[in-house]
Amino acid sequence: MDGEPLVRWRWIGDHLGYLWGLLRDHAVISLVPVLIGLALALPLGLLCTRFPRLYQPLAAVFNVVYALPSLAVFVVLIPYTGLATQATVMIPLACYALAVLLPTTVDGLRAVPEPVRQAATALGYGPWRRLAAVELPSAVPYLVAGLRVAAVSSISLASVGALVGRGGLGYLFIDGFQRTFPTPIVAGIVLVALLALVTDAVLLLARRLLAPWAVRETVVGR
Amino acid sequence: MIRFDGAGKRHPDGTIAVEGLDLTVPAGRTTVLVGPSGCGKTTILRMVNRMVEPTSGRVLLDGTDVAQLEAAKLRRGIGYVIQQAGLFPHRKVLDNIATVPYLLGWDRKRARTRAMEMLELVGLAPETGKRYPYQLSGGQQQRVGVARALAADPPLLLMDEPFSAVDPVVRAGLQEELLRLQSELNKTVLFVTHDIEEAVRLGDQIVVLREHGRIGQVADPATLLNAPADEQVSAFLGRDRGLRGLALRPAAGIPLVPHAEPFEGWTLTVDEHGRPSGWQRAAASETVRQVAVFQPGVDTLRTALDSAVLSPARAAVAVDGDGRVLGLAPRAAVLDALDAAGPQAAALTDEAAWEAAEAAGEPAGIPADRVPDPGQEPGQDPGSAPDPDSDPAPDPAPSGSGAGHGR
Repeated sequence: MDGEPLVRWRWIGDHLGYLWGLLRDHAVISLVPVLIGLALALPLGLLCTRFPRLYQPLAAVFNVVYALPSLAVFVVLIPYTGLATQATVMIPLACYALAVLLPTTVDGLRAVPEPVRQAATALGYGPWRRLAAVELPSAVPYLVAGLRVAAVSSISLASVGALVGRGGLGYLFIDGFQRTFPTPIVAGIVLVALLALVTDAVLLLARRLLAPWAVRETVVGR
Repeated sequence: MIRFDGAGKRHPDGTIAVEGLDLTVPAGRTTVLVGPSGCGKTTILRMVNRMVEPTSGRVLLDGTDVAQLEAAKLRRGIGYVIQQAGLFPHRKVLDNIATVPYLLGWDRKRARTRAMEMLELVGLAPETGKRYPYQLSGGQQQRVGVARALAADPPLLLMDEPFSAVDPVVRAGLQEELLRLQSELNKTVLFVTHDIEEAVRLGDQIVVLREHGRIGQVADPATLLNAPADEQVSAFLGRDRGLRGLALRPAAGIPLVPHAEPFEGWTLTVDEHGRPSGWQRAAASETVRQVAVFQPGVDTLRTALDSAVLSPARAAVAVDGDGRVLGLAPRAAVLDALDAAGPQAAALTDEAAWEAAEAAGEPAGIPADRVPDPGQEPGQDPGSAPDPDSDPAPDPAPSGSGAGHGR
């Protein structure tokens, strides 16, 4: 890389359309799995709250999934989903998202204070109706906190997908590394960070709109 | 009317929460279940709306076994207030109050109009309706809890230690408010507390409970304080039950002396409105700024006695509704009123117990335990009143007790 500047602005100027395409691809393969994870976590979480015995086994399964290295899972999936298809990357990412979102959903649904739960029952909510009208809205701050973790980790992991042919901005890292040309790497890092920041801001806005009553920051560990 | 017919609750692990309870909760009045923690009072309350299913016996609501009613529907017809209010944190106050109307399928506008009325009924400003529960004080939250319970106008209200979590001043205000509401609405109220003071203040009928929901005594407040069924009930009422009983009797008919002249060397000074401003000793330049007063006919004998005890001149200060001094009631006169309160006290007591006391040779109007004797063991009721609990369904509305207990 001798003599090569960290950023060649002309290269960026020449590749704006290409970069935009990669950014869009990256947003889709990283964030759609999070939405799929959420769509699965909500019904599973409700089931686990209604039938608490389900929760431990399910949580254990998804914890194991979460522990698997992403690259290994991509490779394992290639024979079934094909090389360079979105599914190869999105299926594992959806599983990771679910692994984060299932516990936060269940925590959120359980976070309803006991007096609130009892008042709801005493006023005449049936169990399912209570889940939908009282527990689910109360879980929103937890869900958003979980979504923030899941989305950012998904955005970061999606880059690895470039190694199996579908990684959005991840290409820029491979490209720059192979050519010892730092400009795409820097552009990739900046764009990944930007995507993460914008996603986070959107989630925070959603939280403010959906749960204006939640004054304290809800922290989710993972 | 609620009737517990041998209702009992045995937990799956074999522990007994409530053992065969027989009790009638009369319609349109306040019945207070009072007892130490773990006596099963909350369990009894929850049997009514099926949050606890009895394992033996039945609970009848206006003659219908509640077990035959659909739980959710049954509950929408019963107001319920709990200790920490249990408001829904994600809903604004107005929507919290409108919960049951929404559940009953009222349209949004009607439900919200109703919620607005309820807000006013419990003494909260209209703009409170737009707030979230976390923006309210504990006392305000509890008021909202009461409004929510009343929103669909249920004939029956279950209250589980609703005022225990707020500080004493706020609690007194909430109790006052409940008495006011109840005098307007005449709901059937079943109220649980561990605080005998609160029970005496709010209850038309008090049920003193022992462990496993066994009944110690069912009586109106005056009877309970004057004639505890046995030593255990008496011990639960506490040593100063005689003094507490005074809080049920109006301070009326105490002869007053003019306050213009010094009394026992002290002169009551008044401000330009005629309100008491302090006590002044004629001889020395000694003054006492705080003056404890009572309002004859409105306040109770307990307040009058308190005023007399606190006065340096040994005289209670009587004032009118505007706080203007009416005159002084010397301690002796107040003490005479305690004794001479016979007819008034009788009007406030279970007459049967009263007559029994007379028949047993008590001088009329002065039961032996009227003035507490510190040397006397609590509960040593000298063989006077028969056990008021011997009647399994005591008449909850003894004639004459409806006049209000001098509140």
